[in-house]
Amino acid sequence: MSDEAITPRAPGKKIPIFSVTRVWTIAMSTVTQLVRMKTFYFLLAFALLLLVVGNVSFASSPAQALSTLKKVSFGAIDLFAWLFAIVATALLIPRDIEDRTLYTILSKPVRRGEYLLGKLAGVLVVIGVSLAVMFVICSIMIIWKQVGYMADEQAGGGRKEDIAASLALIAKNGFRIELAAAAYASFLKAAVVAAVTILLSTFASSSLFTIIISILVFLVGHAHSMATDYWLRVTDNSMAVLMVLKIFKIVIPNFQLFSFSEGIVTGAALAPGVLWQMTWLTAGYLVVFIFISLIAFVDKEF
Amino acid sequence: MKKLLQKIPKWIQILTFLAVFGIVRAPFEDDLRMRLVSNGILLPPPAKDALGQLNQSALMGTLGGLRSIVSSYLVLEAFDHFSLKEWEELRSDYRVITALEPRDENHWRNVVWHIGINATANMEVDEKIPEFERMRRFNEYAVGAIELAEEGLGQNPDSAIIRLQLAEVYKEKLNDPCETARVYGEMIGLPDSPGYAKRFHGYYLAQCPGRENSAYDHLIRLYRESENNHLPSLIIHIKDLEKKLDIPFALRIPDPYPPLPGQGRAKPENPDGIPDFTDPAPK
Repeated sequence: MSDEAITPRAPGKKIPIFSVTRVWTIAMSTVTQLVRMKTFYFLLAFALLLLVVGNVSFASSPAQALSTLKKVSFGAIDLFAWLFAIVATALLIPRDIEDRTLYTILSKPVRRGEYLLGKLAGVLVVIGVSLAVMFVICSIMIIWKQVGYMADEQAGGGRKEDIAASLALIAKNGFRIELAAAAYASFLKAAVVAAVTILLSTFASSSLFTIIISILVFLVGHAHSMATDYWLRVTDNSMAVLMVLKIFKIVIPNFQLFSFSEGIVTGAALAPGVLWQMTWLTAGYLVVFIFISLIAFVDKEF
Repeated sequence: MKKLLQKIPKWIQILTFLAVFGIVRAPFEDDLRMRLVSNGILLPPPAKDALGQLNQSALMGTLGGLRSIVSSYLVLEAFDHFSLKEWEELRSDYRVITALEPRDENHWRNVVWHIGINATANMEVDEKIPEFERMRRFNEYAVGAIELAEEGLGQNPDSAIIRLQLAEVYKEKLNDPCETARVYGEMIGLPDSPGYAKRFHGYYLAQCPGRENSAYDHLIRLYRESENNHLPSLIIHIKDLEKKLDIPFALRIPDPYPPLPGQGRAKPENPDGIPDFTDPAPK
């Protein structure tokens, strides 16, 4: 061994507890990962679905045809959002373990909380972009059909007031800017679903398990307010049933609350402040579920 | 604190945090849900009797928040039943559809149209069914359509299109001018009410025994309101009522169709498509 004096290394740069840049880097790599999974091909299927629904004429009136088009397209948007949130989130962490990417990431000065947050943010970016594109496709289709129906109505002739009434009915069932809020509602729902799935995937043994349990949690979360009324009636307000239902209500998110896109699509006016309240509620869910996920993930060994 | 937390099993920590968050958010969510349901933004849960009628896929759709997709699929299925004249199956599909989306007035209008107009029309002509059975079913479908319309109006009190369809059933199938007039009367002033509702209210009131004075007052008010209302049907009805009510000549409106020598008045043939209630109709 040489007697060479060991030169002391300069003290390492202090790593901040939390860095938005690191979270964003992980988020962007997650987006790339998802794009490579050919996620956006779903948009082609969506556009095809709209073309079919828009051109199959089974409705008894233009207003009904527009209403059906809106409901099917926004239903498909909602379905895509929550299903994608579950599947993509459930696949990401196991994929990172399988590819050994996780070891590389965690050997760097990246905290586990940042890793989880980055993964969630990446999924949400992909869902957000997909929802925006689907909303644009859907709006173009609705406006195109609406304009066509209106032109037909005007060309059909008749009394001015009757034409005006028909046009008003078509307009009522056609495109409204509030529909953007319906797409946003689907995004909020997907965000909560993704947060729940991240929690499950931190201690789940496989992606399949995470997907199945997440779907189950989603269905229970959707049904418990409906089931509460039913079971309490059937069991004559049994105390035991009431307790079980209360536990479900406390532990499982209320996904039915996030289904307000259906009301907007059927024409209900958006009450002021609803979007803010729902956004804050979603933010609360995200913070709490990421925190709880971190409890499970912080000292997990791979 | 850190050591204490390390001693507590992870699953207990997770459940505790979930429970605390659940307890904090539950009252806020309950309040928000009630407000959203009352504003019509959030659809209420399907009616209890409808839950029993949902098939497996419809139930899963409802639980999965895909009500609109399930109801659109059922509308397609109902259209298929309509093509095959399977009225009971069609009614059953619409029971589920209207339970899933009670606030979509198009569904109510459609079921009233199918049962009240199409099914009854089928009973008028389907010779494969014995006549007594056809008459029984005709009445059952007509009354059923009225009940469905009333149910739909319970959910959508301001709906003009459900009332429009209900009025069709009363006038086309039950030949009841009094009820037809009542329904058109209810439509006046509603947001999507067609312009002719005011006139039709008067026309059918004129044919309702004992309501001729109200009909005359209503129609003459419309006549004086605007020259745009000086339509052939309106004038014919006013002229008929003037005669029936023996209105003094000085107060009568000018006759745009004066009687020709040796003939009756040159009355245009049914200009607004008002059916003649003197025709015998199936009961």
